[in-house]
Amino acid sequence: MTDTDDHINALRLELRRGVVVLAVLSQMDTASYGYNLIQQLAEKGLDIEEGTLYPLLRRLEKQGLLESKWEMGESRPRKYYQISPAGRQVLSTLSADWFETVNVMSNILGKILKGEKNV
Amino acid sequence: MSDLVERYVQQVGRYLPAKERKEVEAELRSQIQDQLEDRFAGSPTQAHAATVLAELGDPRKMAASYGSQQYLVGPELYPTLVQVLRRILVIVPTLVVIATVLGAVASSQPYSLPGLFIETAASAVQAVLILIAVVVLFFAILQNTGTDVSGASGPKKQFDPLALPPLDDPYGVDRAESTFGIAIGTFFALVLVYFLRVGGLTLRFNLGNPGEVLPVSTIWLIILIVSGIAQVLVNVWALWRNRWTAGLWFAETVFELMGHVGVYFVFLKPLFGRVLTTVPALANLPFMAGTPEIFLGVAIAITLLSKGHRLFKLWTYQTAHR
Repeated sequence: MTDTDDHINALRLELRRGVVVLAVLSQMDTASYGYNLIQQLAEKGLDIEEGTLYPLLRRLEKQGLLESKWEMGESRPRKYYQISPAGRQVLSTLSADWFETVNVMSNILGKILKGEKNV
Repeated sequence: MSDLVERYVQQVGRYLPAKERKEVEAELRSQIQDQLEDRFAGSPTQAHAATVLAELGDPRKMAASYGSQQYLVGPELYPTLVQVLRRILVIVPTLVVIATVLGAVASSQPYSLPGLFIETAASAVQAVLILIAVVVLFFAILQNTGTDVSGASGPKKQFDPLALPPLDDPYGVDRAESTFGIAIGTFFALVLVYFLRVGGLTLRFNLGNPGEVLPVSTIWLIILIVSGIAQVLVNVWALWRNRWTAGLWFAETVFELMGHVGVYFVFLKPLFGRVLTTVPALANLPFMAGTPEIFLGVAIAITLLSKGHRLFKLWTYQTAHR
C-alpha cells in the first residue's frame, strides 16, 4: 500500500466517524440489537464493523442518546437499544446540519464532479 | 463453541476498568451470540465462532474501543513533560559527573580511573532514573487533579482571546522551567535530608553504611534544605496561579540567594578544604585559596542580575498597571 493509499484510508475514516453516529441514531426508532443494526445499515449500503458498532452503542447509551433494556429470549438475554428523547433531539439537529453540509459541499465540489478545472 | 466466545470475552474484560467489566462482558457476550445465531443458524461451530471473533479483532483493541481515554500524563501536559525530561537528561548527568569527580579528589582513599568512570556512569543513570520517576509522578498528580500547567485552554474552559498574555509578559510562568525547578529542588532536598541524617557529605547513599562522610555544618545544611523546599513551594504556587508577581519573584530570589550561601557553607568550603588537604600543591596556584568565595560571588552576581532584571520589570509593570 502506498503512502497516498494510507492517507486516503485515514481521511476516509475521519469522514466516516461522525456519519456513523448519525446513521446509527437514525435507525433506532424501533428497538434493535447490535448485529441486527449492522445488517440494517449494510442493506442500506453502510458497512460498519462490529468492533466499531458495539462500543459505539455503549457510548451513545452513556451519553443518554440511546436507551437499552435486556430481554429474555428463548435461551438467553439479549440487549435491545432504542433512541431516547435526547437522542431524537440530537438526531434532528445533526440531520439538519448534515443536509446543510451536503449542500455546501456540493457547491464546493460541484466543479470537480463535473470535471471542470478548479483554479 | 461457547468456550471460545467465553475466552474472548474474558480477554477483553482483562483490559477493562473493574467497574464496567461485568456489564461490557455481558453485552459483548450477547452481541457475539446474536451474530453467531443470525449468521450461522442452527448450531454454530468452533470455526464459525473463530470467524466472528477474528472479525471483532484483537481483544486488547476491542477493550480500548470501550474504554474512555485515561492517561497517566495526557496530551495537554505531555509537551511540558518532554521539555522537563530533556533538561534532566542534559543537566543531571553533568552535575553527577562534577560531584563524583570532586568527591573522588576530596576523598582520602585512593581511586582508579576506570572505577571512577563506572561509578560516575552508574550514579548518573541512577540520578536520572530517580528524577524521571519524581517528574512523571508529579505530572501524573497534576493530570489526576486536573491542574492545567500546559497553558492551553482545557476543553471546558471558554477561550478568551482578550485574556491572552501581552508580548514579553513579565508575569508569564515558564512551565517547563518551573516544573524542572520543582523536580530538581525536591530531589536535592531529599539528598540533603540524607546528608543531615548521616552527618555530612558522602557519595554512598546507604543509611546503614554511608561510607566516608565529610562533616559539614548542621545549621547550614538545615538552612539549605529550607531554602530548597521554599523555592519548590514558591514555584508550585506560581504554577498553580499561572503567574508570577513581584512579591513571589522577590521571595524566589531571596531563597535562591540563601541557597547559594548554604551551598557555600555545606559544599564549596568543606570540599575545597578537603581537596587542598589531599593535594596541598594546589594551594600554590593563584586564587586557589579563595576559590569557594569566587564561586559564591559569581553565583550571587548571576542571580542578582538575572532575577533582579525580571524583578525590576515585574515591579515597574505592576506599578504601571495598578
